Amino acid sequence: MSLFHFEVRKLLLNKKTVSLLVCLFILYSLMGFVTSMFLIGSSRSYRVYEELAAGYEGPLDVGKAAWAKNVYEELSARYGTDSRMIARSIKDQPETMLALKYNEFTERVDEYWNGTPSESAEEPYGIALFESKLSELETQGKQNTAAYTELSDSLKRLTALGEPEFANILLWENLFVNWGEHMMQFLLFIPLAFIIAPVFAVERSTGMDHLILSSRSGRRKIVTAKLFSILAASVTVTLIYAAATFIFGFLPHASLHGWNAAIQSVPAYARSMFGFQTWQLAVVGAVWLVFTGAVYSLIIGFVSSRMKSQMGTVGVSLAVLFINVGLAAMGDAVTQRFQPLIDFGLANVTLIKEVFGGFKMFHVFGMCVSYPVMAVFVLGLIAVLAVFGIYRGQKNRTVA
Amino acid sequence: MGSLIRRILYNGRNIHDTGDEYRAKIGYLPQDVSFYNDFTGRDYLEYSAALKGMEKSYAKKRIEELAYRVGLQEDLKRHCSAYSGGMQRRLGIAQALLDNPEILILDEPTSGLDPFERIKFRNIISAYSKDRLVLLSTHIVSDVEQIAAQIMMMEYGVIHHMHRSEEYIKMMAGKVWLVEMSAEELVEYQKQAVISNVAAKDGFMVVRVISESRPGDNAVQAVPSLEDAYLYIFHFLPERAGR
Repeated sequence: MSLFHFEVRKLLLNKKTVSLLVCLFILYSLMGFVTSMFLIGSSRSYRVYEELAAGYEGPLDVGKAAWAKNVYEELSARYGTDSRMIARSIKDQPETMLALKYNEFTERVDEYWNGTPSESAEEPYGIALFESKLSELETQGKQNTAAYTELSDSLKRLTALGEPEFANILLWENLFVNWGEHMMQFLLFIPLAFIIAPVFAVERSTGMDHLILSSRSGRRKIVTAKLFSILAASVTVTLIYAAATFIFGFLPHASLHGWNAAIQSVPAYARSMFGFQTWQLAVVGAVWLVFTGAVYSLIIGFVSSRMKSQMGTVGVSLAVLFINVGLAAMGDAVTQRFQPLIDFGLANVTLIKEVFGGFKMFHVFGMCVSYPVMAVFVLGLIAVLAVFGIYRGQKNRTVA
Repeated sequence: MGSLIRRILYNGRNIHDTGDEYRAKIGYLPQDVSFYNDFTGRDYLEYSAALKGMEKSYAKKRIEELAYRVGLQEDLKRHCSAYSGGMQRRLGIAQALLDNPEILILDEPTSGLDPFERIKFRNIISAYSKDRLVLLSTHIVSDVEQIAAQIMMMEYGVIHHMHRSEEYIKMMAGKVWLVEMSAEELVEYQKQAVISNVAAKDGFMVVRVISESRPGDNAVQAVPSLEDAYLYIFHFLPERAGR
C-alpha cells in the first residue's frame, strides 16, 4: 500500500471514524427528513399544496396577490409577523401556506421594482433605487467612478433577470436552508474539525513523528500523502452531508418540483444576481460545500501540524471558523474596521446564501469583482498558504 | 559551548547538503515507540516500509525475514496495541532494520523491559552489529557492557570519554572498594562518599565505594565494573566534583 492509502486509513477508514461517519449519515438523514416534514406537514398536504400552487405559478397576478394579502393579515393578527412562526402554526393547511408564500412573493416583486428604502441599512437593491442613485451620481458628474459602474452593472443585471415569478420551490428552499445556513457549519464543519484534527497532532503527541521525520519520505512525501488524505476525508464527509440532506429532504414527498425555477423564486436568493435555476444552484451549492470544506480542512491540517494536542487543534480550528461571527456581533464600529475579515471569514464565506444570495461587489485594482470570485481567490490563497506552511513546518522540524 | 561547530557529517558531507539521501542509511528506534490502534504488526511494518520508500515486493520479503528474526512471525496479524512491551520493542527494531540501514540508532531500547526480554533484545542488536554501526543510547550500563565496541559517556550533548569497555574498567583499577559498616554509620558516610552499591550481610552493610585512596582501614579492593566507571566519571573527576 502507498503512503496515501495508509494515511486515508488512519484518518478515515478506521473503525472509530467509520462509526462516526455512520452516525453522521443517520444524523444528516434525520435532519433532511425532519426539516422536510416540518415544512408543511404530511405528504398528503404537500400533494395538495403542489396541486394548488400549480395554478399560481408564473408572473404576479394582482387578484391572487390581494387574496394572499388578506389571508396573511389574518394570520399575522393571530400569530404575529414572524414568517417562521406563522409557517410553524399552519401545518397541514396547504391553502393557507400557499397564501403565505404568495404574499412573500408579492413583497419580492415590489422590492424588485421599488427597491429597498434609501434610509435602509441593507445593501441597496431594486430597479427604482438603482435608477435614482445613478441619476444622483450623474447630477454630481460622477459617471466615471467605481460606484457608478457598480450600480450601472447591477441595474443591467437586475433588468436582464426580469421580474421574479412565483414557483413551488418549497423542497428546494428547504435544501438550501440545510446547505446554506449556520446549522450546516455546526453539523458539517465541526465534525470535520474532529475528524481531521489528528492528522499531524496524533503523531506529535505520541512521538511517532520521530520515526516519520527520520525516514526518507518523512518530510515531503508524507505531507503530500497527508494532504491528499485530508482532502479525501473532507470530500467524503461533505458528500455524505450533501447526499443525505438532499435524498432525505426530497424523499418524504417524492417530488423534485421546482427544479427548473429561477433561484429568485427562493426567498433567501431573491436578490441574487445569478441567473441560475434551482437545480443549478444545488450543483453550485454542493461544489461550494466541497470546496469550502476542503479549504477549512487544510486549515485544520495546518493547525494540527503546529499542535501536539488533538483537542487543542479542534479548539483553534473552531475559533478560526467562528471568529468573524464574533467580530460581526461587535457593533458597527468594529464591523466597518474588520469588514474584509467578516466578509471572508469562514463563517460567512462557507454559506452559499451569503455568497450567491446577493449581489455584493468588491473593487480590486479598479475592477468590480463579484463576491464568489473574490471568495474563490481568497480561499484559494488561504489554502495555498496552509499547504505551504505545512510543508515548511515539516521540513524544518527536528527529531528530539 | 558557543564556539562549538555543530555539524553532522556523513561520509565527509554535511547531512544538510545531502537532502534526504542520508536518511535512507539510517534505521532509528526512538525511546517511546508508539503505534496506531487499528494497525496490526504487519500494517505497522508495511507503513514503515512505505515511509522508507521501499519497493513493495522487497518490503514484503524483508518483513517476513525480520519478523522471523525478532520472533514475531506468529504475531504479525495481531493488533500492535495487544503486544507486550517487549514485543513492541522487537517490532520497533524490526522497523528500524527494514531497509538494511548502515547506521542503526537506538534510543533507550531496553527501558521498561523485563530481564528476559532485555537479554533477547540485546542478542538481536548484537547479531546485527557485526556489519553496521549501531549507536545505542542508554542509562542501563549492563546493556552496553557486553555488546558495545566503543562506549561514549555523554552529558548535555558533550562527549566526555570514548573508550572500550575494558579500558574503562582498567581506568578504575584500585579505585573500587568494599567497606563494612553499620547502618547508622552508613547514614553519615554516604553524605561524603560516592557509593555504587550497598548490600546487607550478617547484620552489617557492605558498601561499594568509589575512591582514589583507601577509604578506611577495613576497606578491601573490589573488581571494577563499567557502572563504577560511569559513577567515577560523572561524580568523582575533579571537573565534575561540583555536581
